[in-house]
Amino acid sequence: MAVDQAEDGRPTSDDADRDALDDDVLRPRRGRTALLTATAVGVVLAAFIAILATGEPATSRLGDSPLLGERAPELAGASLLTGESFDLDDERGRFVVVNFFATWCEPCRREHPDLVRFDAAHQAAGDARVVSVVFSDEAGDVEQFFEERGGDWPVIDDTSGIVPSWGVTGVPESYLVDPAGFVVSKIVGGITAQGLEDLLGRAQAGPATDS
Amino acid sequence: MKRTLSILVPLLVVVVALVVGSSGSDGPKTSAERAQAIAGTVRCPECQGQSVASSDAPAAVAIREEIDRRVAAGESEEEVQAALVSSYGEGVLLNPPGSGVAGLVWVLPVAGLVVAAGGLALAFRRWRPSTAGPPSEEDRRLVDAARRRRRAGP
Amino acid sequence: MNAALGTAGVALGLAASLLGVVTLAVGLRSRRPKLLRVGRSYAWLVLGGAVLATVAMERALITRDFSLQYVADNGSTATPALYNVATLWAALEGSIILWALILAGFTVGVVVKFRTRLTDPLVGWASLVMLVVCAFFFMLLVGPANPFTTVAGAIPTDGPGPNPLLQNHPLMAIHPPMLYLGYVGFTVPFAFAVAALVTGRLGEGWLAATRRWTLLAWGFLTIGIGLGSWWSYEVLGWGGFWAWDPVENASFLPWLTGTAYLHSVMVQERRGMLRVWNLSLLLSTFSLTILGTFLTRSGVLDSVHSFTESPIGMWLLVAFAATVVVTVGLIGWRGDRLRSPGSIDSPVSREGAFLLNNLLFAAFAFVVLLGTVFPLVVEAVNDERISVGTPYFNRMTAPIGLALLFLMAVAPALPWRKASGELLWDRLRWPTWAGVATLVGAVAIGARGISPLVAFALGGFAAAAAVRQLALAVGAARRQGASPLRAFVGRSNGGMIVHLGVVVVAVAFTAASSYTTSATYTLAEGDSATVAGHTVTYEGMNPEDVSPQRTLVSARVRVDGGQVYEPALNQFPNATQTIGTPSVRVGATEDVYLTLVAAPEREGGPVVLGVIIEPLASWLWVGGGIMGFGTLLAAWPTSRRRREDDPVPSAEGGRLPAADVARMEDGEAGRDDVPVPSGVG
Repeated sequence: MAVDQAEDGRPTSDDADRDALDDDVLRPRRGRTALLTATAVGVVLAAFIAILATGEPATSRLGDSPLLGERAPELAGASLLTGESFDLDDERGRFVVVNFFATWCEPCRREHPDLVRFDAAHQAAGDARVVSVVFSDEAGDVEQFFEERGGDWPVIDDTSGIVPSWGVTGVPESYLVDPAGFVVSKIVGGITAQGLEDLLGRAQAGPATDS
Repeated sequence: MKRTLSILVPLLVVVVALVVGSSGSDGPKTSAERAQAIAGTVRCPECQGQSVASSDAPAAVAIREEIDRRVAAGESEEEVQAALVSSYGEGVLLNPPGSGVAGLVWVLPVAGLVVAAGGLALAFRRWRPSTAGPPSEEDRRLVDAARRRRRAGP
Repeated sequence: MNAALGTAGVALGLAASLLGVVTLAVGLRSRRPKLLRVGRSYAWLVLGGAVLATVAMERALITRDFSLQYVADNGSTATPALYNVATLWAALEGSIILWALILAGFTVGVVVKFRTRLTDPLVGWASLVMLVVCAFFFMLLVGPANPFTTVAGAIPTDGPGPNPLLQNHPLMAIHPPMLYLGYVGFTVPFAFAVAALVTGRLGEGWLAATRRWTLLAWGFLTIGIGLGSWWSYEVLGWGGFWAWDPVENASFLPWLTGTAYLHSVMVQERRGMLRVWNLSLLLSTFSLTILGTFLTRSGVLDSVHSFTESPIGMWLLVAFAATVVVTVGLIGWRGDRLRSPGSIDSPVSREGAFLLNNLLFAAFAFVVLLGTVFPLVVEAVNDERISVGTPYFNRMTAPIGLALLFLMAVAPALPWRKASGELLWDRLRWPTWAGVATLVGAVAIGARGISPLVAFALGGFAAAAAVRQLALAVGAARRQGASPLRAFVGRSNGGMIVHLGVVVVAVAFTAASSYTTSATYTLAEGDSATVAGHTVTYEGMNPEDVSPQRTLVSARVRVDGGQVYEPALNQFPNATQTIGTPSVRVGATEDVYLTLVAAPEREGGPVVLGVIIEPLASWLWVGGGIMGFGTLLAAWPTSRRRREDDPVPSAEGGRLPAADVARMEDGEAGRDDVPVPSGVG
């Protein structure tokens, strides 16, 4: 027997007998195992496909932030443009749009006129204002930026961890803070004046935590 | 005896080498090293897949500076991470949390491996009874004969 | 013109594949050989359609035909020729054309290769499956991913060009085609597996028929993954070569299951066992390529690589679901014929090692899949957002990787059926000492840390085991009069060379990820910095290089007083961010990786320079090359041909080819591999 095996690897009759025996003994058990395995695999895969089918696109998760509905993180400093000091805590009583930007970022340049329009529209009523935080940038460039494109709101340089405490992922990014000092919404990417007005309108009408 | 020795000697050398090799690698010590290690566990929010330690994106730089500041102020790794989670959400950590539903990601593979290994061990046990003991002298002679025949030509 | 030509090609491809499917189905059902022969020729028509579509798109890209939406979105007059050609696969629609082209090519390949077995139902069903897959991809091209839509309104005179990251390095021109050759190549064994299930011919015949195809696909996938990793090292500028990004994982998953299959298939060939398992591995390999495409193309996951969202996601998900349902159903239906007739005598045997190998590869694939999709699962379950990143993958896969290295050393020395401790020790003695020596050497040159050291030791162990095996086999072949080159050809020798490549990659990966030193310096002109024994000197900026395609600023940095390297920053006209081009001094022991983090603010000002020292990084690509070469040797036709064109032994009697293979392997490698008898008593 063994010689046979060594010669050509062909199964020997012994092997075959043994296999037959094994099969007889194991058949019913294997049938059940197979069924169970197949069912389990099927259920898991079905659930998996359902999750994939209903999964929202990654981009829809952009506006999420643990800060929504929470008290706004600290934001204070001297404006790069005028040197005046600014503190978000002094702005209770009106909405504040906190805008994170950089002069080298193209979408920031595109959204700037809308920010200017929004700020101007609310300056008289005093119900909302804009404050910008600049990061990864040069003071000279920022002054030039505002000189060329308008806007006279406070611009604060990120020196002491403002960006990470607000959970900023990139520029441009804006947050709407309500008169009580709570974060109402987060906008990733460029804003438009109309978009801001809509957010403001909704925030004024509804509860502050509604994003 | 000789064979036991020939296995024991390399084993001993390996153990000694590993003991020597594991010294001096007790993890990060200076605060810069600690900050670097923490930065390696924090996701760069602008660039997927990379940690803030390996990215020069502005947000990554800002987060890295924040980590440096907090580490310098004496905060532990957990405190730094908790601070970042409170502003960015749990998703800012590259390591999924160890508890709750998310903790399953750690448990499932280990459980799966244990179950599969158990199944395999069981299968081997089931197969084993059909095998006989060590080859007898007779078997060896047969094998030797077969070998000789095969060497002589196919 | 181009739109018409391309649309015609796509239509031809779809029509031909559908007609082919119908013809073959009817032919198989009514057993009419003539129809089977006719059905086969539709493969050529499908290829014709794919070629037409490809030519049309390339022509549009080269002639800058901006009337095509795809060209308007991805082409540009400023893109250099090479990247312009490569723009075919720079975005979703174009890459589906490439996919369809390669798939049609493989389909024709199958038809040509098996031309002598035209009327064999196994081949008939396999071609039918391939044509079904073709039809699906052409359907994508007709519907949701139509690359030949024309621009509505005024035709633009220029476009933005492909993503800047994709036109930054020549590797981008070959990495995607290689990867696709691998992905698509697995369709062939998949088709034969399905055919075997449908026809009930579940013996080892279909395995032998597809062995070489599988190897080829695996080789392409390996090279594709390697090139992708090289590309990210050369381009992304953070010194990394593997980020466990969803797209990387998507290509790695079929590689893992494919590798598991290449090993476990030997157990089936030799012992007729593991039939269900092998089928499952092939079927999951194919399903995973579809799933991977879905994950990365539908926008459900964040990824550096993901194209913009498109409706194609739903189609791919449906295809994935259909594949899963059909294959699980087929295995369930044929379950009765799949019961493996053999048994394994001892865990300490070659087949025992293969089983363990498969367990580990399956676990590896599970970890990677779980980590990739887990954020989606958690979000669906309790709306929590989490990340699963590099630290997780490294921690979970490192033990599996080490165990695989160990197995890779021991398994080739194990005989089939059963091994005695004595025999094993005899064969592993000097590989063990090689491993020990590697460990001692690594400690002596200052390597520290338990897991990297264990990896090096196991690497030395596995490499020596492979070399031993190779030396024995080549020596034996030489004595039988084989030429020095011929002596290396064959599955087991090729396999051992692949193992050597894996060891090289594993050691390089461990060294480069464990002992990297990185630092960032602000340097004025003429200043130097020293990092990990290397001195970098900033010598000034080059004049700005302005071209319509991009603006490039580069710094001159002298490394160790020798050659000057020029890391650069590119500003592409339509990108908001600058994109760095690192400059690397490649070395045998370590790479000096330079990045320009920030150019000087003003003329003559200081630069910010990133310096990364990565030990052994260049060996990653060498190892990948060795793996590719080994695969080629393994797939190369040997003089001792296995009879691939033989009619397949009828139905279940699949032990025959196993005997063939066994004879061949015994002849080639372990002449002393005579199994210890087991059934004597």
